[in-house]
Amino acid sequence: MDTIAPASLPTHEAPAAEKRPWIFTRPTAKTGLISWLTTVDHKRVGLMYGFSALFFFLVGGFEALLIRIQLAVPNNTFLQHQTYNELFTMHATTMIFLAVMPLSAAFFNYIMPLQIGARDVAFPRLNGFAFWVFLAGAIILNVGWFIKAGSPDIGWFGYAPLTSKAYSSQFAGDISTDLWVMGLQILGVSSVVGSLNFIVTIINLRAPGMTMMRLPVFTWMTLITAFLIILSFPAITIALVELMMDRNFDTGFFEISKGGLPILWQHLFWVFGHPEVYILILPAMGIISEILPTFSRKPLFGYPIVVFSGACIGFLGFGVWSHHMFTTGMGAVATAAFSLATMAIAVPTGVKIFNWIGTLWGGHLKMTTPMMFALGFIWMFMMGGFSGVMHAAAPADAQQQDSYFVVAHFHYVLIGGSVFALLAGIHYWFPLIFGRTVSEFWGKLSFWVIFVGFNTTFFPMHFLGLNGMPRRTAVYDGNMGWNSPNFIATIGAFILGIGIAIYFVTMVYTLFKGPKAARDPWDGRTLEWALPNPPPEYNFAVTPSVHARDAFWYEKHHRDEIAREKIQHARSESEHGGIHMPSQSWFPLLTAIGMLVGSLFLANHNYLGAISGGGLTILGAYLWSPKAQAATTCTPNLTPTAKTPTPSTELPLIFLFPLSLYLSPSSSPPIPPTPTPSIGIKTKD
Amino acid sequence: MRLPAPSRIAFRQLAALSLASLASFLGGWSWIEGPQSTFDTQGPVAKSQLDVFYTTVWVTGIIFVVVAGVLTYATLKFRARNESDAHAEPPAQSHGNPFIELGLIAASVFALVIIAVPTLRAIWYTYDVPEAEKANAYEVNATGLQWWFRFDYPSEGLDNSGHLVTGNELVIPANRPVRINLRTADVIHSFWVPKLAGKVDMLPNRGNHLWLQADQPGYFWGQCAEFCGEDHAVMRFRVIALEAKDFAEWVAQQKQPARTVATNLTAEPLRIQPASLTFKRNAPGWSQEFDLNPLENWKQKQFPEKDENPALIAHGRKLFQEKSCISCHTVRGHEGVGTTAPDLTHVGARTTIAGGLLENNEANLRRWIIDPNNVKPGNKMYVGVPLGASVMPGYMLRDAKTGHLTPNIKIDNSEGAALAAYLLSLK
Amino acid sequence: MSHAATIDHHHDVTTSTGIPNKKLFMWAFLASDCMFFGALISTHLIYRLHPPPGSPDVSKIFSIELTSFSTFILLMSSLLMALAVNSLQKGHVRSTRHNLLGTIFFGLIFLGCQVYEFNHFVHEKGLTLSNSIFGSTFYTLTGTHGCHVAIGVLWLVLMYIRSFKPADPSRSWLARAIAHFVVFTITTVAGTAAVLGLVHTIQSHESLSVFIDHHLLATSTTVIGLALLTWFGFSRKPVDFGEANAIDVESMGLYWHFVDIVWIVIFTVVYLLEYL
Repeated sequence: MDTIAPASLPTHEAPAAEKRPWIFTRPTAKTGLISWLTTVDHKRVGLMYGFSALFFFLVGGFEALLIRIQLAVPNNTFLQHQTYNELFTMHATTMIFLAVMPLSAAFFNYIMPLQIGARDVAFPRLNGFAFWVFLAGAIILNVGWFIKAGSPDIGWFGYAPLTSKAYSSQFAGDISTDLWVMGLQILGVSSVVGSLNFIVTIINLRAPGMTMMRLPVFTWMTLITAFLIILSFPAITIALVELMMDRNFDTGFFEISKGGLPILWQHLFWVFGHPEVYILILPAMGIISEILPTFSRKPLFGYPIVVFSGACIGFLGFGVWSHHMFTTGMGAVATAAFSLATMAIAVPTGVKIFNWIGTLWGGHLKMTTPMMFALGFIWMFMMGGFSGVMHAAAPADAQQQDSYFVVAHFHYVLIGGSVFALLAGIHYWFPLIFGRTVSEFWGKLSFWVIFVGFNTTFFPMHFLGLNGMPRRTAVYDGNMGWNSPNFIATIGAFILGIGIAIYFVTMVYTLFKGPKAARDPWDGRTLEWALPNPPPEYNFAVTPSVHARDAFWYEKHHRDEIAREKIQHARSESEHGGIHMPSQSWFPLLTAIGMLVGSLFLANHNYLGAISGGGLTILGAYLWSPKAQAATTCTPNLTPTAKTPTPSTELPLIFLFPLSLYLSPSSSPPIPPTPTPSIGIKTKD
Repeated sequence: MRLPAPSRIAFRQLAALSLASLASFLGGWSWIEGPQSTFDTQGPVAKSQLDVFYTTVWVTGIIFVVVAGVLTYATLKFRARNESDAHAEPPAQSHGNPFIELGLIAASVFALVIIAVPTLRAIWYTYDVPEAEKANAYEVNATGLQWWFRFDYPSEGLDNSGHLVTGNELVIPANRPVRINLRTADVIHSFWVPKLAGKVDMLPNRGNHLWLQADQPGYFWGQCAEFCGEDHAVMRFRVIALEAKDFAEWVAQQKQPARTVATNLTAEPLRIQPASLTFKRNAPGWSQEFDLNPLENWKQKQFPEKDENPALIAHGRKLFQEKSCISCHTVRGHEGVGTTAPDLTHVGARTTIAGGLLENNEANLRRWIIDPNNVKPGNKMYVGVPLGASVMPGYMLRDAKTGHLTPNIKIDNSEGAALAAYLLSLK
Repeated sequence: MSHAATIDHHHDVTTSTGIPNKKLFMWAFLASDCMFFGALISTHLIYRLHPPPGSPDVSKIFSIELTSFSTFILLMSSLLMALAVNSLQKGHVRSTRHNLLGTIFFGLIFLGCQVYEFNHFVHEKGLTLSNSIFGSTFYTLTGTHGCHVAIGVLWLVLMYIRSFKPADPSRSWLARAIAHFVVFTITTVAGTAAVLGLVHTIQSHESLSVFIDHHLLATSTTVIGLALLTWFGFSRKPVDFGEANAIDVESMGLYWHFVDIVWIVIFTVVYLLEYL
């Protein structure tokens, strides 16, 4: 293996001057709004994912607080039953599909290519497309808040036949369920397309020497998650298509009067739904497996076993879906089989926890904020895991299913697990992405407030569930013994909210005013830390070659060998015409807009509109394809110079435009007219 | 801006605070002693399920103590104590130890086997009535509807035709296995009486069943456990277990047609103006007096009310027809013939109304009859029952196109009092 | 523009594994698509195993001869697709075009058969999307497959038109390509209508004049369209399409073969099993 060229290296010389109507001229803006709308840079796409996900995370959190206010006291009248049902449906849908998944996707996008030494993902435009489609899906799901029909109120699992027209359409134009159906289908497209891209990227764009068993664990978990997504999303998509057919074209898939079997929906849904649980947690485990070695200053304990157990979890995850259906009367044999399979998953999960502890053992633990979150993750995930084993025992689950015990369990694994890890990840990679250092004091404070608030909220819920309180209930009576745990949980929710607020305020403050971070501030082990912060558009001035598992750690301890190699690589790359970067494009955005328009019309049962939206999608896709080989060549400036503003701080500025006027009155204007000076750019047209 | 340096004292205080709150959780054992507590088991099925739960708690608890201990030890022992320590030479770059890994995997598998064996045993035990007792089992059908439960007694045939039907209160013989066939008339519901058995879902186009047994006579709270639409939260029911003799008496009484109170129209003035009722939406419908001895209170309910007003009752019976109540409710022996709503033949002998939400007394009945939407928002008596493409109107008539509601039935306070008196007389 | 084969079609040096990105992408997508069809086929089978009361008698609805014929046609189209890939890997553009056209033609026959079958089932056999669950699952499953074939045909057509992109970048070809596509579409629709009309005429034993009376517009449009397509197809100028594009055609081929294999499964499970 001599050189690995970037993704869209043209296999033949592109023509020098091609005639193009104005509509086909390639956008070349490197800064400003257009540069974001047309971007194909995996780092910018990652940032857009990240900021949208954090926005929806706050929306979902707000919904959660409303829910907790309603449940603070018995027989509360703060919310109508209907509103309460909308809120818990949207809280779950938002947190799963619009917050945790895209936040993971943000890290996949930003970090994974850097970890494998690539210059971009395999299909940069498809990557941009996946993001815009995600945004379209998010809009469709949330449109309900602003229309008469209201938001979806059928639960995030949408059990048939509650979703059929007979039970979820209060009147002819009640499209709340249709919006949910369309929104999730669109999000499915986004997830599958994004994941296909990650799979190809990880398998095909690794730097020389980066063998599969040298991949950083986060990249491994990205790969496994991507496989889970492409294999599990079809099940829910087909279920949603069937439901859409029922609602739009009077088919009978889940229609009781036609002999439909609603249990089929549950099977299809959970064939997706259980792998989805691992889609939410595996990236988190990947992040933890990066942070613990870094701050223990030693390699991950038992790397092959951690990787293998991740794959094992992913594989077994497809064989346990019916444990969500223990109370549906599947029969003793099926119940027993799924019960045992579910218990089996505890083994690879437990193995990961052992290995993380093994990583700590004998290390020099630096108690930084990301490390605190990572340790918090191990504790909380362990508790969530143990309550998970309790569900696996089907007879015990007969009492726990659909009670607050389950609510406690999955919040322990989703907040104590996924969210802790994602917050750790933001903190950990913040210096790399934004070039600024987050205050340790405020970071640790936010950790402790979040930790305390989280446990105060969710620990009492175990008792609520075992004391017979069912989930998804808007009111409860005061004589059931549920009053004080509920009240404490509500107080906890507000403490948790304050913790999250501290965390976010700290991040926003640091983004604009934080001290500049040094390069490689944590003494990192993986390749992303080899880059200047924030990383340049082309990532690696010279494609690195990898000699060991913790590639950057090896580099730091074999400087001479690496320096010799770099010179050699730089020479061979310039012989091949320097760095080829894909050029920006409007068409991913256009295609996604087509899907947005089409879906909104389809949800409204307006087929003409739906077809025109579909037409726009096809047009976008068609116009995009002949330009797939377009490329920009840039020559890296190997002597770093000061740049203003960096692309990574620009997006938040655009998002927070009104706010930014107050935050940084003295800083440079958010959209400067000139391109960044440090990169010489030759565009081919 | 320079931020203050991390203060260890602040962290310690926070940690202490979190420990204190943890302690307060653990101190609150009353948290597991509610009417729907899964710990206070009253029958073999719930007991078997609780035993499995305890097995999982013990096994995971021991693992937790061990793993948490090692984790705490590792965190404290290997912590970098100061700045210079953090920047010291990195520790040995060890990569793992396959023997430790294999040992831990084997240990986890062993722990799971400890859980799996009782789990499997309990799965078969709780699934259906044990063979030896099948002949002795009593069979009832439970049907979930938005948002109430109907209970059919197929073995208790009536003289003319059909069988015994009741709503929201399931009366069963104690100390005898009861096999409950679970059905639904609309969406998925789930039948859950935590003290007697774990839940089993009621699925459309698919039969389901569970079995339970109450070891002692008792009064048990139950609730729908699968989200079933707007009023899922208030879809509740009760199970009353009686001695064999009491049960037989109850069945005999229930088989009778509705009780008619002798009327002497001239004896009492018909027009009464009851004190007007004000109550908040979602106002609670339970009372401490009732909860003190629910079974005894249930038994009292079987006898006629002390202060019956025959004229008022007769007026109520007339209103029951005039206000179209009869088209949805059955009152066997009286005028009611509808089947879409709960059978009210012996409603006066039940302890709850409105799907187990309110205690059955004059004030609550009046409240429920006059303003059902404020008791149970969106209930079918108020918004109407969908019948295929059309809607059978309730208190309101819903426009299928716009969803707009127009008033259809109005019941004022004095009419409500009459209806309540009539319904309470139906023992 | 045919030149000596210089590209190694089995090893792409720009990727870590040697598998071209597009091919890997297609494989991964097909894995995902397997699950889509898996879910649909499962749905169909579950309802065949638990048919609701009043389900139609399926064996009286199917016409196994027609479906066997269209299955055979689809299989043959796969052969042509493989030949197209092979030709382009050797740099033979003209031969590639011919094979692509053949694949398109066979694909269209398959689609025509499906349109005819659906039409027949709805109007003659009274099986609609909404009047029984069998109708729902059958039309949704075979319709989804039909959509896959239609997308494949669209892709083939676009690839065929793409093969005329002039090598000289100063010559504008976008307008020409769009015109080419429009003519292709119109000809296809008109041709399908004409052929279906012809089949109908023959089946109902009517004379040829009845056919011409009813389908004059469709028939004449088809003839004109075919002439135009022939004219578009005569291009002697050098084109920007050759061996380097073999990977595009190969990915398309993977898709096409997959759609074929799925049909074999559907044919077995949905049709043949009913005759057991």
